[in-house]
Amino acid sequence: MARRDPLLPNALIVARREYRDRVRSRLYMASTVVLMALALGVALAPTAIRYFDSQTVTRIAIVSADAELAERAVGIVEGVLNSRPQGADPDTWRKPFRIELAGTGGEADRDLERGSVAGVLAIERGSDGGIDATYRTQGLPDATRTQLVQIAVFGLGVLDWTANLPSGSELGAFRTPLFDLESTTGPTVDGQPVSAQEIASRSFIGTVFIVLMFISILIYGMWVATGVATEKSSRVMELMISAASPRQLIMGKVLGIGGAGLTQYVAIVIPALLVLAFQDRIADAVLGPGGAAAAPVVGLTPALLLGYGTLFLLGFSLYAFVYAAVGSFVSRPDDLQTLSLPLSLVAMTGYLASLPILIGGGGALSRLASFIPPFSPFAMLARLMVGQVEPWEVALAVGLLLVTTIAIAVIAVRMYSAGVLLYGQRPGLRAFFAAARRAA
Amino acid sequence: MLQHVSLEIDRVTKRFGGTLALDGIEFAVPRGSIFGFLGANGAGKTTTMRICLGILEADSGEVRWNGTTSGDLPRRTWGYLPEERGLYARSTVIDQLVYFASLYGAAPETARRDALHWLARFRIPEYADRRAEELSKGNQQKVQFIAAILHGPEVLLMDEPFTGLDPVNLALLREAFLELRDEGRTVVFSTHQMELAEAMCESIAIVDHGRVIARGAVRDLKRASVRRFVRIGLDGTTDLRWLDGLEGVVVSRPGVDRTELELTNGLEPGAILAAAVAGGVRVTHFEVAEPTLEALFIEHVGRAPDDEERSLAP
Repeated sequence: MARRDPLLPNALIVARREYRDRVRSRLYMASTVVLMALALGVALAPTAIRYFDSQTVTRIAIVSADAELAERAVGIVEGVLNSRPQGADPDTWRKPFRIELAGTGGEADRDLERGSVAGVLAIERGSDGGIDATYRTQGLPDATRTQLVQIAVFGLGVLDWTANLPSGSELGAFRTPLFDLESTTGPTVDGQPVSAQEIASRSFIGTVFIVLMFISILIYGMWVATGVATEKSSRVMELMISAASPRQLIMGKVLGIGGAGLTQYVAIVIPALLVLAFQDRIADAVLGPGGAAAAPVVGLTPALLLGYGTLFLLGFSLYAFVYAAVGSFVSRPDDLQTLSLPLSLVAMTGYLASLPILIGGGGALSRLASFIPPFSPFAMLARLMVGQVEPWEVALAVGLLLVTTIAIAVIAVRMYSAGVLLYGQRPGLRAFFAAARRAA
Repeated sequence: MLQHVSLEIDRVTKRFGGTLALDGIEFAVPRGSIFGFLGANGAGKTTTMRICLGILEADSGEVRWNGTTSGDLPRRTWGYLPEERGLYARSTVIDQLVYFASLYGAAPETARRDALHWLARFRIPEYADRRAEELSKGNQQKVQFIAAILHGPEVLLMDEPFTGLDPVNLALLREAFLELRDEGRTVVFSTHQMELAEAMCESIAIVDHGRVIARGAVRDLKRASVRRFVRIGLDGTTDLRWLDGLEGVVVSRPGVDRTELELTNGLEPGAILAAAVAGGVRVTHFEVAEPTLEALFIEHVGRAPDDEERSLAP
């Protein structure tokens, strides 16, 4: 006896109305502008930080038991780090580094610990007469700076090699100076500090994307729940439910509100991506020539964006269907908080599980979370961001998410069918889960 | 003209948990007629309508329209005005009317044109571009009625359509009902207002505790009733003491202009007239009347339609 209505065109008619109503609302427009400004701010933050950093002078201490070698090192490091970039105005350009000779290694390390110097370059002469250098930093070493210091050490090695030759002798074998990097607090991989630029970039993009996904799922999910609850409390649902099937209504609602969310997301992300894409030019313009040498964000690939898009769409759909079912079980939008809190906590768990992954940690639990659907949109995205994932793992996570989303959609439609006609009952988790069991 | 039975509610049963909401409910509605579905609150009227629409599924039995079970009928077959009224508060009247009609498969342009026609018909054309929240309750009700009929349904199911309407709007809605019937549409409506049902319906079903306890043409039901009534008008008095001592008469509906008396114990109407003359009152009107629909309802159900408040359906 039950009627089986085709999904289209009614789902699209409902979706179009939901979409239009959302994007035309003042709240939507205002929040889009605010979030767009925030996203632009986040995208410009690295360049801004570098701009403010460029206004200060960074101190680097040189330590060596060999005083002559130390003096020479100061000169060479000074020459490499403080070389004026091509095109920079000599009248306004200021040296970004101050290279100083430290009294002893202990003093230099204390200065490093206090933060009064940004790095300590310890230079020793090896038993074979060659140069061994260790560059110590507090926290993550700056990749560009480290590279320049390494070049300086190489130059020092060449100079030292030629300077120590007895007159008239022939050039012997040159040993490339050993260069070691030590970080007092930064993360390491295989005992070596990970590139600051890479880590910062991964963490930055990953954090932005996961926070964005978390906020989007909660906000747009609540839109779905509030929309259903409002239709129910205003009793317009009585008209709707006779004009369209619950499946058409819930699909249309998720599609329309999801579309509005996606529009807002695109409106927020496109300008931010443009800023990131042109960060070199922006950095050049703000910091002057050479400012773009350390592009703050790397690794934002089309594949990563596709991964984000897929996980966002599936994740949003999964949560939105549950939110729709939740919305159908309350008589007033005010009652939504009671039922939606556990759902927010589930999303929060996924979000929290992804954070250790982003900073290079994340044990078996985080790895497991990247496959379990309520958490996988966040945790798998985090793994994608830091590149710690095999293709089959992504496929498995997406497959599980897709299957679960379809199953949840079917259950949500049945719960919605029952829920929208229930009035005057106190919303409670027990009633909700009882209905879910019946629907399943 | 011979009317064919088109809507059949065939032994429909529905249970909500431990409560039996519909207990084998059964009646038929001729095509192109206005049918009254009468019962107290909680009798099962709304549940029956929701089963017709496919919103609820019957535990057993079925609903057929022209021989086709309701599950196989397109949604546009039905037009539904729910008892609980609601519109999108912040949407304009015309936008939501077109929206609802579109869901039923109507072309937006046609829906817009027809909606404007009906708004004019209901004397609210100026509200087309207003938000629903700006309309009075009565005008919102008219908009909801338009939403129910805009897609041209064959069957209209109206749950308490006249509740809360002032006399002017009530008359407008009555006219619309009659016009829709004249177009060949079948109108089924539920109501507590027995006078309205009596004035508009060709046939009715009285439902109580989920069961149909009387059904058929209003005329036939009245004739089949064992109850007899007299309506009497007196000149310049409402004093009925002249009835004292007369056995087998009950004042069923006192009034200033007309008083309705129910005859029992085989009392003949002429005895009333004779008592009035003997009592020295001047009779201006005397009518042997059939029972009203309300009297029929009370006869079958044992109480007035709005005596019981009970909710079974969700």
